[in-house]
Amino acid sequence: MAKCSEDKKEEAEVHKLKANEFFQKQNYDKAIEFYSKAIECNSEEPIYYGNRSFAYLRMECFGYALEDATKAIEMDKSYVKGYYRRASAYMSLGKYKMALKDYETVVKVRPSDKDAKLKFTECQKIVQQMLFQKAIAVDDDKKSVADSINLDAMTIEDNYDGPALEDGKVTEKFMLDLMEYYKAQKKLHKKYAYKILLDIKAYFTKQPTLVDVHIPDDSKFTVCGDIHGQFYDLMNIFKLNGLPSPSNPYLFNGDFVDRGSFSIECIFTLFGYKLLYPNHFWMSRGNHESVTMNQMYGFEGEVKSKYSSQMGDLFTEVYNWLPLCHCLNKRVLVMHGGLFSSDTVTLDDIRKTERNRQPPEEGIMCELLWSDPMPGPGRAPSKRGVGTQFGPDVTKRFLDNNNLDYIIRSHEVKDDGYEVSHGGLCITVFSAPNYCDTMGNKGAFINLQGDTMEPKYVTYSAVEHPPVKPMAYANSLLRLFS
Amino acid sequence: MMAAEYGSDDGVIATNDDATSCKACAVSLGYWKDPYLPHVYPAAPDRRPPEINRGFYARTHSIFLLIQKFIQVTKGDCQIVNLGAGFDTLFWRLKSAGHTPVRFIELDFSEVTAKKTHYIQRSKALLQAISDDDYDIKLNRNNLHGFRYKLMSTDLRVLSEVEAKLEESEIDYSLPTAFIAECVLVYMCPTKSSQLLNWIAKKFKSAFFINYEMVNLGDRFGEVMLSNLRSRHCDLQGAAACATLQSQEDRFVQEGWAGAEATDMMGLWERLPRADVSRVMRLEMLDENELLTQLFSHYCITTAWTDTRWTEITL
Repeated sequence: MAKCSEDKKEEAEVHKLKANEFFQKQNYDKAIEFYSKAIECNSEEPIYYGNRSFAYLRMECFGYALEDATKAIEMDKSYVKGYYRRASAYMSLGKYKMALKDYETVVKVRPSDKDAKLKFTECQKIVQQMLFQKAIAVDDDKKSVADSINLDAMTIEDNYDGPALEDGKVTEKFMLDLMEYYKAQKKLHKKYAYKILLDIKAYFTKQPTLVDVHIPDDSKFTVCGDIHGQFYDLMNIFKLNGLPSPSNPYLFNGDFVDRGSFSIECIFTLFGYKLLYPNHFWMSRGNHESVTMNQMYGFEGEVKSKYSSQMGDLFTEVYNWLPLCHCLNKRVLVMHGGLFSSDTVTLDDIRKTERNRQPPEEGIMCELLWSDPMPGPGRAPSKRGVGTQFGPDVTKRFLDNNNLDYIIRSHEVKDDGYEVSHGGLCITVFSAPNYCDTMGNKGAFINLQGDTMEPKYVTYSAVEHPPVKPMAYANSLLRLFS
Repeated sequence: MMAAEYGSDDGVIATNDDATSCKACAVSLGYWKDPYLPHVYPAAPDRRPPEINRGFYARTHSIFLLIQKFIQVTKGDCQIVNLGAGFDTLFWRLKSAGHTPVRFIELDFSEVTAKKTHYIQRSKALLQAISDDDYDIKLNRNNLHGFRYKLMSTDLRVLSEVEAKLEESEIDYSLPTAFIAECVLVYMCPTKSSQLLNWIAKKFKSAFFINYEMVNLGDRFGEVMLSNLRSRHCDLQGAAACATLQSQEDRFVQEGWAGAEATDMMGLWERLPRADVSRVMRLEMLDENELLTQLFSHYCITTAWTDTRWTEITL
């Protein structure tokens, strides 16, 4: 590299001073322009890169900021500001561990710098929190919330006029009372709510990840898709198709909660029926039965407001144990999302999948909850950023390898509530009509007969629901208009 | 003038609280920086779904960029009039980015301006930006005259009031003036909103208008929304203009504006600076895109001008 002449160095300094002026005036665009000019004249000066990095930080171009800060540090390992800038860039990019290393360096070199110490401590807190979250997400030896619930200490007030478990058990009467109580927008007593959750958790921990369901030849069977907290539409499904019973079995294919404003009512109704008819009522996990989704899409807020965050934590534990997949009569596989990024996945692979955790970002469990079919052959990266898209050939190979007839999945809103794709090998069923009070779609469910296992579709429109305050999603929708 | 003729004003006034709350949520999640918002919305914001946060980001940032451009192109020799401004913090955000017009006037119902006046008085940060050594801030319960910043109570449906309040704020009809309306015209009956647009075009030598509003209301989505709003006592009297992008443009041209261009939020999203959009998309992962697409296809920003110089004010 040609050594920089004195003239050029001087010119560079002039550019830098000009850039600094622009920086002071918060004209970061111009500041970057002139720092770049300075670098063109003299590419050996770490301060130019450090300053330009700062300007990039202000413009939130964190990638560029990182590049420049790294370059500055490379040129001068003792350039403290460089580490500072790089740490800021790392923070904004979510790379907290890397940021921590750099803050540590700054603190060591400048032990009396209060701001550095503050940033270091803050960063450390974030990193520690992240490690903690990671630990509890995967670790099933940790103390469970379930163990800390003391039902005996909860008393039923005299003025509680709602449904009551009989001897701690769900009965048909309880379910009928519960649904009426919910229609009147009332709240199940927390003692019964917790009991249901504890019993449901105990039940699901004993279930396999892939559940084999047997449907007798002459029996009807109904598969429903996403419900998303739309309780009144769930009641309409029961009205159209009959209440769940041993002769009217149901499978709900995930996404019971979030977005709709009545997720609590939905989930307790479904869990109640699961406890009442364990061998005739099935529930599969959806991608919304997870912490991140519940935080963003309303369920966490609803649980906290109707009950407590402790109950929210218990829900998390329960959702972790929901089965991921159901195989009906060894012919039809039902999962919330879809199929896999690998052709070699077998039913046994699914059975062996460790599911007691938050959905991971890749792999069988992730794909079962997140994937989507696509019309064209082969595979493609998911539009959602998680899971995969899979074509008709992928579906055919999977079905052939595993001796199955077709798959049923949900996860995507459809105008008519259902969609038949991949030549009938992949069926989508979505049971939340007028999704979010916005999409205007119909909902649907599938009726099967045990002997033929041929799908028959029933579609329906949304029914009215109370204008609950807050009508979570719909209210927000209106706010965009305000 | 019968109040019943216009539906309940309370419903419309409440839309400000809703919008501010949503903005507060988005800001708290990092969608954009607004250190002034907590001063007008002190409570901890309720969490909204990611689509809503993105929608507010697109809306707030688009308007900011357009106004910023307007101020830059006129070299600050301009006025901004925010119709139905609510608790918007645009004046302060512009100021801290180094952009000050000659005059920034906000108009809204007295119930709204009274609260805002109160918040401004209590906040050092807000007061500082509207103060100047050579200027004494004048205020009463519903109105505030600051340095360059004026907050006036008025009913936008009463043209004589609008005119009076603008003149009280020392409006200069000859200066290039940008008007902002975020879901305001739609709550007025078409006669009144047309009257207002017509008057602006006639009175102001060089006017520019940014109208953020619903669009494509003729479909299922529109039906649902209209009925939802009606149940909250917000009659969308001006819904007709929201039928299509074309109708949003026509409503200006028919009232004497030289031209107008409407773009829905899908289109605007594509035009926002990419680096910032990438940053925003990383804040919250969308579990699906259909809802966002639906939302974004039903909102638009229409820019209109009486002076062809302002055709260059785009994203």
